Amino acid sequence: MQAMIVKEFRQMRRDRRTVALMAGLPLLLLIVFGYAARFDVTEIDTALLGPGAVEMATTLDPVFNVVTVNELAGADVGQDLLRNSEAGVVFVHTDSGQSMLIDGTELFMAQSALRRVPPGFQPNLLFNPNLDTAKVMVPALIGLVLLFIGTVITSLGVVREREQGTLEQLAVMPLRAVDVIVGKIAPYFVVALLDITIVTLAGLWLFDVPFKGSFPMFALFSLTFIFVVLGLGVAISTVSKSQSEAIQLAIMLLLPQIMLSGMIFPLESMSAEVRWIGYFLPLTWFVIGARGILLKGTDPATLLFPLGILVLMAIVVFGIAVFRFHRDIAPKRSSNPTSPVSAAAVES
Amino acid sequence: MKPIEATGVTRTFGTFTAVNNANITLHTGEVVGLLGANGAGKTTLIKMILGLLIPTAGHIRLFGRPQSRQQRHRIGYVPQNLGLYPDLTAKENLEFRTKIFGVTAQNTGITPFGNKLVGSIPLGLQRRAAFAAATQHQPELLILDEPTSGVSPLARSKLWDQIHARAENETAVLVSTHYMDEALQTDRLIVMAEGKILADGSANEIVAGRKTVEITTDRWADAFNLLDCDSPDSSTPRVSLAGRKVRVMSQSIDTIRDKLDKAGINADVKLVDATLDETIVKLAS
Repeated sequence: MQAMIVKEFRQMRRDRRTVALMAGLPLLLLIVFGYAARFDVTEIDTALLGPGAVEMATTLDPVFNVVTVNELAGADVGQDLLRNSEAGVVFVHTDSGQSMLIDGTELFMAQSALRRVPPGFQPNLLFNPNLDTAKVMVPALIGLVLLFIGTVITSLGVVREREQGTLEQLAVMPLRAVDVIVGKIAPYFVVALLDITIVTLAGLWLFDVPFKGSFPMFALFSLTFIFVVLGLGVAISTVSKSQSEAIQLAIMLLLPQIMLSGMIFPLESMSAEVRWIGYFLPLTWFVIGARGILLKGTDPATLLFPLGILVLMAIVVFGIAVFRFHRDIAPKRSSNPTSPVSAAAVES
Repeated sequence: MKPIEATGVTRTFGTFTAVNNANITLHTGEVVGLLGANGAGKTTLIKMILGLLIPTAGHIRLFGRPQSRQQRHRIGYVPQNLGLYPDLTAKENLEFRTKIFGVTAQNTGITPFGNKLVGSIPLGLQRRAAFAAATQHQPELLILDEPTSGVSPLARSKLWDQIHARAENETAVLVSTHYMDEALQTDRLIVMAEGKILADGSANEIVAGRKTVEITTDRWADAFNLLDCDSPDSSTPRVSLAGRKVRVMSQSIDTIRDKLDKAGINADVKLVDATLDETIVKLAS
């Protein structure tokens, strides 16, 4: 038994990625849960509208962080502010009465606001009146499914070629590198498109999720996000020598996205120490877009910023992935001799 | 126009030199064996010829020109691990190749097992399928990396028949192997060890003039043990047994006679022609 234990430790010590996963993952989970897993929203972006807006500002609970004051606007403007995520709560104080509009797609924020309704205000939950969790989760889950397909399945598909030695065979066929790359990625792109269609339709049908916004905008978000995740998948495959290595890396990329993208825990409630990470994750921007389009019918112009971030990510990630993949199948004189294909050559 | 012309080819990985200043040439219709132990540099050299690795130094020309994608139409390659998709049938694997090369499948010889997944058929059949896949486009240069590794003697013999048939059709064939008996199937041998080319010629040319000492004695076991102890490196044995005759490559006949006399072993000691195995062991050491 002692020999077995010693052998196991020796193998473990030499599998650096597993050691990193074993040591890094608990630390990562601790930090993420410690700083990110907070349900209490302590700061709510608030708009005050109507003639009594300025007067109202002094009487509100400190949790309401006033970002907009407009004495001339009414409830219609308030709805637009919520629809475009410019505020989470809107207080409207007109001669005809007082109302409190709350964005129902931000579950924890809405619950926090409901606990602090000022006297005389009637709360009105918009976009998700029953604070239905499923409605809020489905748009984010569409992104998660795509992320999974894109990173795990694509990376496994490419790494399998390398493990079988068929990637090398492709490299000696009269194919251009671009033929191999497009031919390899296109099926996953089609599968991802099918997946997003199925998951979205199922979400709308099974969970009664509305589709209030622009379909072309949703299609643009989805296509861009697919490019990002396929790029991540190919990038993972270019630094993995085996399928198990690819899965380990994919897990390390997936976990932070689930925790820090705002999919479960609101970004606003996270500690600043980890919140910034969320802004570098593609799922964060897809969730903002998908929730806005499906649940609130957000103005497409307002979504251009998150879409732009996703486009930038797609260009960078996909570009790096294709560059590395291209280098594997068509080595240049300056190529790194320790790249996976090159390394295979010294084995025999 | 020579199918392969490599001059001063070197490939290093960090401080390790996998191939050191190799010069090789292959002519049309010639079967050339690349012979060497594991780690000799055969696969690295093959990968440089195929363009999978870029030489650190030296030049490689295929069909008289620098390597290019267009030349790949003229090359067939079977890697050690066969390069077939195990989750496709043999027929689907061939279909994939023929489409890429823009040819139609011909008498492939895989019909009996064509509809079976490659991963589910024996290694010998997998190698047949890989050979068929690599030759469907009638390549002018065929490169086979240890094509008979792990297959039965019968399957090996059939594969060599196919290789010779290809060569008769003007295909130049480069075969890497570490089996000495297979070396005799080739027209020419290139012997490699530690990244260097040690010999280049026919088996007869390589062996020509090389002698070994043959000892015939009733006390052959004692003689073997006595002389084997003197081998400087047990990984390259220079004393061998042929039946009950002891053969020694590394020591002079006078030295051996002297040692046997001192040990009181009465023996008939003479110089005989060396075998290819002995010559290669001697070269490698």
